[in-house]
Amino acid sequence: MSVSTDMKFLIVDDFSTMRRIVRGLLKEAGYANAEEAEDGSVALQTLRNGKFDFVVSDINMPVMNGFELLSAIKKDDTLKHIPVLMVTAEARKEDIIRAAQDGAAGYIVKPFTKATLEEKVQKIMLKLTATAAA
Amino acid sequence: MKMNDLPLSGMQMPTEAPPAMVFQQLGAITRQLHDALNQLGVMPKLQIAAQGLPDARSRLHYIADKSAAAAEKVLNAVDRAKAEHLALNEQTRHIAAAVLKDPVRAVATGAVMNFVGEMEAATERVDQQLTEIMLAQDFHDLTGQVMARVIALASDLEDSLVKLLVQAAPQEVALRSDMVPLDGPVVDPTGRTDVVSGQSEVDDLLASMGF
Repeated sequence: MSVSTDMKFLIVDDFSTMRRIVRGLLKEAGYANAEEAEDGSVALQTLRNGKFDFVVSDINMPVMNGFELLSAIKKDDTLKHIPVLMVTAEARKEDIIRAAQDGAAGYIVKPFTKATLEEKVQKIMLKLTATAAA
Repeated sequence: MKMNDLPLSGMQMPTEAPPAMVFQQLGAITRQLHDALNQLGVMPKLQIAAQGLPDARSRLHYIADKSAAAAEKVLNAVDRAKAEHLALNEQTRHIAAAVLKDPVRAVATGAVMNFVGEMEAATERVDQQLTEIMLAQDFHDLTGQVMARVIALASDLEDSLVKLLVQAAPQEVALRSDMVPLDGPVVDPTGRTDVVSGQSEVDDLLASMGF
């Protein structure tokens, strides 16, 4: 089973360099359709104004952090189906556990490789497809 | 010192105090705070550290600007090199197909020599981009020196604030768990059991939870 490369991504990170790197890696993996947001608040607005299939979010951000964004997405009936992959420098076990319990689809610690990002995206989408088909 | 000890507390404030009176009260509060901090013995060091803060702020801005500019330069060079590489890849495929189809014609029409020339020029351009990437790393040298100064200042400030907290904090005050800030990157995971040191540990932790 393969994952559609037409998916639309939202990349959320307060560092433009990191957004650009994630966007570049996704593009290399075949996912060219992506938009960017610099914090959780902007991301939430962007998600509500558009149609997205996948969110890749940092945690430590100003205004609205990644945990707050995750929580807001999962509380919103129109957005809660969108998988959220946390890509963050936060390496505390309690943060990883909290993200999983709050509904994150995956968790990647920085620094990471292209292979890790690609593998997580594929794994999450295949799991979602399998769940939807069941 | 407790907040209740401050002269403002319990004082009947007129609804529209004349400015002179307000300034007088503010002056008294400030003096009392200053004296209290001096009595605690942390004021001189704290003052020196606080005076260094604007300088530290500009140094941190310098680091942020330098590293952002370097990252931008590197990413731009990588974009250009990748485009160059992609074009070379396509040209190589075309010339290979032409040589396979009709080697004599491929040479006679100059396609092979044109390709060789283009290849040479493209590799020179890629080499320039690689050099640009290498040179963009010079910010490490500059920011490293600046960071050492900021770290020294932060360390002084931390010392003073910790002393102040230890001497002034009421016993019953404790950090609430929800006030614990996000840690950011783990600089040294050695000996820590509360953090993961890599992606495999994240995966193992999540797998152990059934995710």
